Amino acid sequence: MQIVTIKPRKEIKISVEAENISPDKFGGKTEKDIQSLVAWMGNQKTTIGELFSIKVEGSGPAVDTKIVLEGDFSRVKRIGEGMTTGLIIINGNADMHLGAKMSGGKISVKGNVDSWAGREMKGGELIVEGNAAYYLGAGYRGESCGMRGGKITVMGNALDFVGEHMCGGEIIVNGNTGILPGLSNNGGKIVIGGNTSRPGSEMSKGTIIVNGKVNEMMPVFKLEGDEAVDGVTYKKYTGDIIGNGKGLLYVK
Amino acid sequence: MELLIKNAAVFDPVNGINGDKTDISIKDAKIVSKVSSKATVIDAGGKLVMAGGVDAHSHIAGAKVNVGRMMRPEDSRSGISPRTKITRPCTGYTVPNVYAMGYRYAQMGYTTVFEAAQAIMKARHTHEELEEIPIIDKGALTLFGSNWPTMDFVREKNMDKLAAYVAWGLLASRGFGVKCVNPGGGEMWGFGKNVTGIDDVVPGFDVTPKEIIVSLMKVNEMLCLPHSVHLHCNNLGNPGNYKTTLASMELANQVKASKDRQVMHVTHLLFNSWGGTNWGDFESKADVIANCLNNSDNITGDMGQMIFGSATTMTADGPKQYANAKLLHAKWSNGDVELEDASGVVPIYYVKQISVHAIMWAIGLELALLTKDPYKMLLTTDHPNGGPFVNYSEVIALLMSNKKRQEEIKTVHEAVHAKTKLPGLDRELDFNEIAIMTRAGTARVLGLLDTKGHLGVGADADISIYDIKPDQIDPSIEHAKIKSAFSSAAYTIKGGNIVVKEGQVTATPLGRTYWVDAKVPRQNHDEMMKDIVRKFKNYYSIQLANYMVQDEYVSHPQVIKAGAIPVEVN
Repeated sequence: MQIVTIKPRKEIKISVEAENISPDKFGGKTEKDIQSLVAWMGNQKTTIGELFSIKVEGSGPAVDTKIVLEGDFSRVKRIGEGMTTGLIIINGNADMHLGAKMSGGKISVKGNVDSWAGREMKGGELIVEGNAAYYLGAGYRGESCGMRGGKITVMGNALDFVGEHMCGGEIIVNGNTGILPGLSNNGGKIVIGGNTSRPGSEMSKGTIIVNGKVNEMMPVFKLEGDEAVDGVTYKKYTGDIIGNGKGLLYVK
Repeated sequence: MELLIKNAAVFDPVNGINGDKTDISIKDAKIVSKVSSKATVIDAGGKLVMAGGVDAHSHIAGAKVNVGRMMRPEDSRSGISPRTKITRPCTGYTVPNVYAMGYRYAQMGYTTVFEAAQAIMKARHTHEELEEIPIIDKGALTLFGSNWPTMDFVREKNMDKLAAYVAWGLLASRGFGVKCVNPGGGEMWGFGKNVTGIDDVVPGFDVTPKEIIVSLMKVNEMLCLPHSVHLHCNNLGNPGNYKTTLASMELANQVKASKDRQVMHVTHLLFNSWGGTNWGDFESKADVIANCLNNSDNITGDMGQMIFGSATTMTADGPKQYANAKLLHAKWSNGDVELEDASGVVPIYYVKQISVHAIMWAIGLELALLTKDPYKMLLTTDHPNGGPFVNYSEVIALLMSNKKRQEEIKTVHEAVHAKTKLPGLDRELDFNEIAIMTRAGTARVLGLLDTKGHLGVGADADISIYDIKPDQIDPSIEHAKIKSAFSSAAYTIKGGNIVVKEGQVTATPLGRTYWVDAKVPRQNHDEMMKDIVRKFKNYYSIQLANYMVQDEYVSHPQVIKAGAIPVEVN
């Protein structure tokens, strides 16, 4: 087991891109190796070691690597991007694109995450104990597929466009979400514990379950009657009927 | 500046040089017979040397290319390369940024490229982009097939006025030739309809696509334009459309050429050689189309080869693009250019295991292999409709190696066996034939053979050197080497400047923009302008005075003079 503890050396005011903070990149590496990995601060190329203090305990491959982020990472983007294995624990907030394109392993965040968390995720697990911002588990600009697999759990709330262009996997938001969760969905499952508005527009496949209130319903869904899911009775809708969609929307 | 290329294994079909070891002398952007001893020497070391590549049909600039960029931000995530001391940053694969167009063509050894369609009203945008495309010489074909004045003059059977309109339209757009896309269909799309064949009547104008095609061919020859009519047939992209294509090609017999070239160039034939009645019984009719080409001496075509993977379809064929977007559930952009045609952009992903795509892939290759004379079938991918132009090397390797084709056939949908003749074709093109399809033939079809597409004295000093020794390679077996060599030139020389070395851009001189200044009798012009003035007053959203592309937009012009002569019409 290799445990890497990483802490900002000082307050980060200009945003940092640090896709190298990942078990795949840290696994089996010494402190010095890790310090020399590239990071960008604004338009300046720098290293992980310049920006963060690194402590490595034990040694092991990526699969046995645990990265612990202490302090404020709310201006550090792309943490865990493309990771395939291992564990990242963030004891605070994280900036945009956390766990983007990850295909395995686990990221656990004690605080909040900014937009695009789990963007185009393929597998693995992302747990956020606080809130998530926009485009949670979404596709990037212009892409036809966002999240394809894996699981995202947000204990708090999320903002607009949760799981936009989702093609697979599962997103659970215990609190409320902003408008248009599951926009243009083509697969996968979104479960919303609280309230939302206008879910599932342009949906062609996939499932959305809303346990709270739907403040505004899109007129493009067709009511199919009541149906029980896991012992709870919901109103079942299908749509988006304009695009002959086969999406399922369950509203309590 | 003088340059001497020594020990070149030259393939120059125009001058009958077939791999002979020759020296090439260059002085002041032209090929000359001799240079002084002060000339810079490049030792080609027996490597393959051809004239700079010429592309007669590619969508590299203008309104719809830019719409493609805007609606496909995801495309810009690929092909990223940062700026260097010489080059600007590049992005994109199917719709690259403006600078990448020039660099990537030059890196393949291409030095002249023609944008395949611009509406007159949008021509200023086309030229703004052409001005910024580095290195290559370029030009743009102007759309006339669904323009209101065209259809009015065709109905009136007034060829003098139509010729005057075409001449004025080329001037207004600083255009190079007459493009005709789904004639009549672009207009009908304004009312949510399309034409289904060349004999449908376009409502409101009372003309048929057949009359439009024939009339445009007649005036093209009256004006002695360097290029012939460049036709995108009606019914493109519909199963069974080969009949429409054949009927359109037959029309070429009605007109005599004013120059030593074809009277009709039928473009991206891959999309027009389709049999069957629906997607279920879809099949190749490439053999029928190739046979028609083999038996006629005044028609040429180009492949429009399809490349598996991402592509962005863009065309003035508005109704086709609506159908595509519905079929594919894809993003769709629609355009209407007032009195001048329509347009549409739809991204597509060609998949090896989809039967229709596999058959389409085979059709392009069949066309090239079944057309006996390579001067009649140019190599294109209809960039980016069939696929991005950076894949020309893949197409060349496929045409030169039956082994490669058989390997590929094993990986695509089995429908290619039953629905196409490709698996049984063992023809392998040689370097000479490739030089024709990519250089001599394209230059001839465009009417630029005096300065482009060959290496004779007086030609432009546009030369590509590829890292293969033709006498030491068997393209049939070593197809991977062929592909790699043609994708990245050892040297590209443009106008006497070394612009690419070992696949890297070394200089970015600005190329020229070709356009055609065709003269017609004053009184025909004046008569025609009366109609145009009325149309601007009644219908156009802009003023006539703001319509013409000014000279400021074409800072490196290469003007070709043409003009009206009486022409014999059967």
